[in-house]
Amino acid sequence: MAQPAWMITLNVQQPAWIITLLVSSLVFIVFWFILKNSKDREEDYDGIKKKGFKIRNVYFVILFSVLLGATFYTITDLPYDRPPEFVNATEVEVEALQFGWDFSQEEFEVGEKYAFHVTSQDVNHGIGFYDEDMMLLTQTQAMPDYTNTVYVEFEEPGTYQILCLEYCGAAHHLMIHEIEVK
Amino acid sequence: MDNPLVKINPMTKRLVTFPVLMSGLFIFLMMAFGVIMLLNQANMIQINMGMFYQLMTIHGTGMIGFAALGAAGIMWYFLSQYVELNRRVFQINLILFLLGVVSVLVGIFKYDFAGGWTFLYPLPAMSGGMWAEAGATLYLGGMLLIGCGFLLLFLEVSRAIISKYGSFAQSLGWPHIFGLRKEEDAPPPTVVASTMVSIVNITALIAGAAILVMSLINLYNPSFTIDPLLAKNLIYAFGHIFANSIIYMGVILVYEMLPRYTGRPWKSYKIFLIAWTLSTIFTIIIYPHHLLMDFVMPNWMLIIGQVLSYMNGLPVLIVTAYGALMIVYRSGIKWDVTSSFIMLSMFGWVIGVIPAIIDATIIVNQVMHNTQWVPGHFHLYMGIGATAMIIGFMFYLTKFDANRTDQEIDRASFWSFIIGILGLSASFLYSGQISTPRRWAEHVPEWIAPNIIGVIFGTIATLAMLVFVFRFIVISHKIGKSETSFDESTRKIS
Repeated sequence: MAQPAWMITLNVQQPAWIITLLVSSLVFIVFWFILKNSKDREEDYDGIKKKGFKIRNVYFVILFSVLLGATFYTITDLPYDRPPEFVNATEVEVEALQFGWDFSQEEFEVGEKYAFHVTSQDVNHGIGFYDEDMMLLTQTQAMPDYTNTVYVEFEEPGTYQILCLEYCGAAHHLMIHEIEVK
Repeated sequence: MDNPLVKINPMTKRLVTFPVLMSGLFIFLMMAFGVIMLLNQANMIQINMGMFYQLMTIHGTGMIGFAALGAAGIMWYFLSQYVELNRRVFQINLILFLLGVVSVLVGIFKYDFAGGWTFLYPLPAMSGGMWAEAGATLYLGGMLLIGCGFLLLFLEVSRAIISKYGSFAQSLGWPHIFGLRKEEDAPPPTVVASTMVSIVNITALIAGAAILVMSLINLYNPSFTIDPLLAKNLIYAFGHIFANSIIYMGVILVYEMLPRYTGRPWKSYKIFLIAWTLSTIFTIIIYPHHLLMDFVMPNWMLIIGQVLSYMNGLPVLIVTAYGALMIVYRSGIKWDVTSSFIMLSMFGWVIGVIPAIIDATIIVNQVMHNTQWVPGHFHLYMGIGATAMIIGFMFYLTKFDANRTDQEIDRASFWSFIIGILGLSASFLYSGQISTPRRWAEHVPEWIAPNIIGVIFGTIATLAMLVFVFRFIVISHKIGKSETSFDESTRKIS
């Protein structure tokens, strides 16, 4: 599977889905436990609060640490700046317009590094690079008056789909373009 | 603890009934439109692409607009216990809202406007031939009317709060945070929440009005142009904050009712006040997480968008939801449909935050932005979070202000609604996980299976909503005409 250069892991979507399911299940268990223990009355609410605040301190530290750790782990390799290995990348101009894409070149090579400079002639669009399995590899917005640059290295040959990922009008879903990677 | 429920003027009770009814009715209608869109994406029916995007536009606009109307009813109802509110302003907001809705509906269905709730500049003026100036004018003008009405409402709420408490700093409890005053004298949670909502929404509505007016001028004078990136910032600042504020208004129901259901107090203690001040700041400045794929944005804004989106989860996870769990734990609470919806809203808020935090991560957003993952998040968050608060308020009004008793159909609908929204949201999240783009009228075969699941669960949730609305309509005429049922001897709802 081809991946953007900055992407270290094999796939981001699947872990996102699994983490969501796992954490949601944990939340469900906590709510279920509390609701199961809600019908009997304990008059000493101060006692419950005291215990609850102690647990909350631990919970806060854990949650804060996880979020802080996730921040440091994920923020080190952002897609915004040109990575050093892309200094000599092939520059490709891409223009979006209702409802199609205009590429300065249509054929690409495996292992080559490309910097796609994306803009729009009319309204906002979004450029999404999809592989042959229709998995989204990377994207950026295509905006009038601005140029966003996205860095891509294709790792496998095939026909890649370019899909519009910002709603741009009645034929938005027809704004598909194919590029060939050899 | 006093019984503030009976302190609410019967006129206030009747005042909020109509907007809450409209809110429920139109949320049901918008849900039905959502199912139609899913049916089309699942290839089970065929509607023309223009109509799909018209439905998409009204679905997003209508859901947020009518949910905000219902949530504002919750805030107004409970806040009236603490401050003097001018009911004329509430009525003016309602009139402007309804005029705006008519304008939006005519713009969409008569003049084919389909620019999405995002109306990203310059799309309203460059439709690719689908709609003309009339449609865009009616839509943008209608939104402006709705926004002006809400702006008046929040200015009135601000005026009333400042008259009583002296300043926003006082009503957010800053003197209590800094130890200048005793914690026991802090403003009640309802006042704190209403202050936060007023601050963020006045900010949002001014940003929204600015871009709406500029877009309207651009429609008729194309030489008047707007920086597209500035336009996008204004639109998402407006949209994000305003949509977010719904749950912060709705949560007032939780703060007011859980103490009465459990016979335990929910006070504005120091951590609570700090959390609400942080929420005020975060809610205003985290909107750039909608712009993570606009690489030309200043990097620091995008990084702030990620970091503060993470942090914005903390107030609800650490204070509100945790507080709700603590107050019901071994409380002997009587679970009726109202209290069940209140607790459901806490659950929905928490699990709705999870996919949002994940998607606010820049490297995840790179492959999840504008996929179905995003509706997956907000159908959880809005469906069994914010909307659960509004439905809970509908059941509250008819139970406590109109002597309704729970029926088997209420309980059955409650569970159907949960199952429906959970299934629907899971189908969206799964679609996002397989890279299905959002806002696409037609889907390729690989994307269709989750849509069919979405149709099934979406239909279940929609039918449940119909039951809630029907039950409310039938009983609502009694609201404000009977005494509130509250057991003075136990200080607790029995």
